[in-house]
Amino acid sequence: MGRRLLLPTVAVVTTLALRPYGHGAEAPAGGGAGVNSVGMRMVLVPAGTFRMGSPPGEPLRQEEESPRRVTLTRAFRIAATEVTQRQWLALMPRNHSPQRGDDLPVTSVSWPEAREFCLELSQREGATYRLPTEAEWEYACRAGGAEPPAGPAELGAVAWYADNSEGATHPVEQMKPNAWGLHDMLGNVGEWTLDLYGPYPRVEEDKDPAGPASGSTRVVRGGSWRGFPRALRCAARTGTPESYQLPHVGLRVVLEIE
Amino acid sequence: MAMRGPSRREFLTAAATIGAPLLMSPRAAFGSQANSRLTLGAIGCGGRGKWIADLFQKHGGYEITAAADYFQDRVDELGGKLQVPAERRFSGLQGYRRLLESGVDAVVIETPPYFHPRQAKDAVDAGKHVYLAKPAAVDVPGCRAVEESGRRATEKQKCFLVDFQTRTDPFYREAVKRAQYGDIGRIVCGEAAYFCGPTFDEQIKWLTEKPDDPEVRLRAWGLDRALSGDVITEQNIHALDVACWVLDATPLHAVGTGGRRARAVGTCWDQFSVIFTFPKDVVLTFASKQLGAGWDDICCRIYGTEGTLDTHYFGEVSIRGKLPYRGGKMASLYQDGAIANIATFHDSITRGDWSNPTVAASVRSNLTTILGRTAAWRGARVTWDEMMSANEELAADLSGLRA
Repeated sequence: MGRRLLLPTVAVVTTLALRPYGHGAEAPAGGGAGVNSVGMRMVLVPAGTFRMGSPPGEPLRQEEESPRRVTLTRAFRIAATEVTQRQWLALMPRNHSPQRGDDLPVTSVSWPEAREFCLELSQREGATYRLPTEAEWEYACRAGGAEPPAGPAELGAVAWYADNSEGATHPVEQMKPNAWGLHDMLGNVGEWTLDLYGPYPRVEEDKDPAGPASGSTRVVRGGSWRGFPRALRCAARTGTPESYQLPHVGLRVVLEIE
Repeated sequence: MAMRGPSRREFLTAAATIGAPLLMSPRAAFGSQANSRLTLGAIGCGGRGKWIADLFQKHGGYEITAAADYFQDRVDELGGKLQVPAERRFSGLQGYRRLLESGVDAVVIETPPYFHPRQAKDAVDAGKHVYLAKPAAVDVPGCRAVEESGRRATEKQKCFLVDFQTRTDPFYREAVKRAQYGDIGRIVCGEAAYFCGPTFDEQIKWLTEKPDDPEVRLRAWGLDRALSGDVITEQNIHALDVACWVLDATPLHAVGTGGRRARAVGTCWDQFSVIFTFPKDVVLTFASKQLGAGWDDICCRIYGTEGTLDTHYFGEVSIRGKLPYRGGKMASLYQDGAIANIATFHDSITRGDWSNPTVAASVRSNLTTILGRTAAWRGARVTWDEMMSANEELAADLSGLRA
C-alpha cells in the first residue's frame, strides 16, 4: 500500500494529539510541547525580539555574524531534537547515514531531501512543517539568553563536538537541553535551515528575516561532532551547497502555528 | 622584498576587499570620532618602520607626530620624510621613553623583537594604544609580559594589536573557518614550512666588516639570536602561526635540530627542523631555511580524514578533499595584511573595542616557535610545561650602546 494512502487517517490522529497545545502562543516558551505522529516533541517558541549575530569583541566570533535586533512576529514550534533515523525512515525510503542507529540523528541528507522530509511530514500531519529560518534557529538556540558559555566544561555538558564526540554522532537527547528544552542545538550534527547563505543586511532592526533572495548555498547551523568550539556557538553560521550529503549535517523541523 | 607604496585609493580598496570591520560601520567611518586624527609615534625607523609609517600616513586617520630609533640617522630619515619636528625625534636606547612623553595617542613599534615587551609595557603604562610588529617577543618572559600588557591595555581601555598579515586575509580566514567547522574531517597531522633565501644581505655585509662594533651588532639585529629570537621566531612564525590558528591548540612537546650551515656570520641559525606534537596526537612537522636559491614558500598544510587545508603566503589558499574550497590568492598579502591591520587598529580605537583579540593568539604562536627553537637548540625533546616553568630569558649584549 502506498504511504500516501494512509495520510488522511494519520493526519486526523495527529491533529488531535496536538490539540491540547494548539493555543500555545500564550503558553511559556518551551512549555506545551506536543508529540507528533513520528514521535517528535514539538516545543513552543513564542514570538519575540533578540539580538541575532555576535558583537565585535565576542570570543570566537566571525565577521559574518554582524549583529542586529531581530523580531520574530509569529510563535512557532520546533522539534526538541534533531531528526532521528527512526523518524526519518518513518517517512523516507532511504537512510544514507554512515553511522546507523534508530536514535542517532539522520545525516548525509541533502537540502532538497531535508525539504522533502518536511513536505512528507506536513502531508501526513495536515500541518505545515518546514526547516527553521536562520533567525528562528538562532532564536531557539539562544532560548531567551545571550550566547551560552562556550568554555570547555560548559560546552561539554550541552554538545557533542570535536573534543568529546570521538569522531561520531551520538543518540539525541543525551546532552543537557537549553532553557527551552531543546537538545543538541549545538553539536552532534549541523542543521540545515531554510535560508540561502549570504551577508546579513546592514540594518540595526529586522523583522522575520528570511535570508537573501539569491545565493548558491544554504545556511547550516549549530556545529557538529567534528566542529571546534568556534563552530559551536548560537551565532556561528556556514554556507553549504544544497546537494551535499554530509556525515555531519542533518536537520531539525519547525511546525508553523496557524 | 621590493615593493611600491600604495596610493590612498589603493589603500582603501585593499582595506575594503579585506573586509576590515571599520568599513562595516558607517558611524565609525564617518562619525565625529573618526574625523579626529590619531597622533602616532613611530618607535623603530628602520626598513619596516619606514615602510609601515608610510602606510599609516596613507590611511588618513593618523598623524605621525613623533619618531624614535636608536640611530639618529634613521629617525631623521623618517622624520624628514613625514615632517616630524626635530624636537620630536628621539634617539638612543631610551629615546622611545621620551617619545611616550611627547603626547601621542598611539605608538607603532617596529624595533628588533628583543625590545618589544619592554617598549610595549612602557607604552601601555603611559596610556598609549599599541600596534606591535610580530614577533611579540623573543623569549618566554617576554611573551608573558606582552600578554600582560595586552590585558592591562584592555583594562585601561586601550587598543593593543599584534600585526600578523595572514589573519586578515579573507581566503585564509574562510579556509581556517571551514577546517574548524569540520570540512576536512578529524585533523590528523600537518606540516608547516618557511623556505627562503638569504634575508639579511646588508646586515651580513655590515657584520662581516665590523663584527665587534656594538652599534653594528644592533644594526645587524636580524643575525643576532637574542635581538631577533632566531629565524624560527622572527621569520618562521608566519608558518607556525597559521598551524596554531587552524589547530587552535598549544603543542605539548617538540623535538628538533638545525644549525648555521650556509651563513658565516651572526649567532642565528639558517635552518631548522622540528616535530611538534599537539593534543590528540596531532603531529606537525616543521622545516625552514634561510639560505640558497630557487625555492621560496611559506606554507602550511593540515591533513584531516576527509580533506587537506593548503595555504601559501605568496600563493593560493584552498581545501582539497570531499568538501573542497577553491579559495584564492591576495595580490599582496604582505602589504594588504598590514593595511587591514592599520585600518582595524584605527577602527577599534574609534569604536572603543578594547577586546584586543590578536594578543593571546600571537603569544601562543610566539611560544610555539620558542618551544621549537628550544628543542632544536638543545637537540632534545622539550615539553611545553618544561619550557614555561624554565621561563628562560634570552639576554642580548647591549654593552657599548648609548642610553
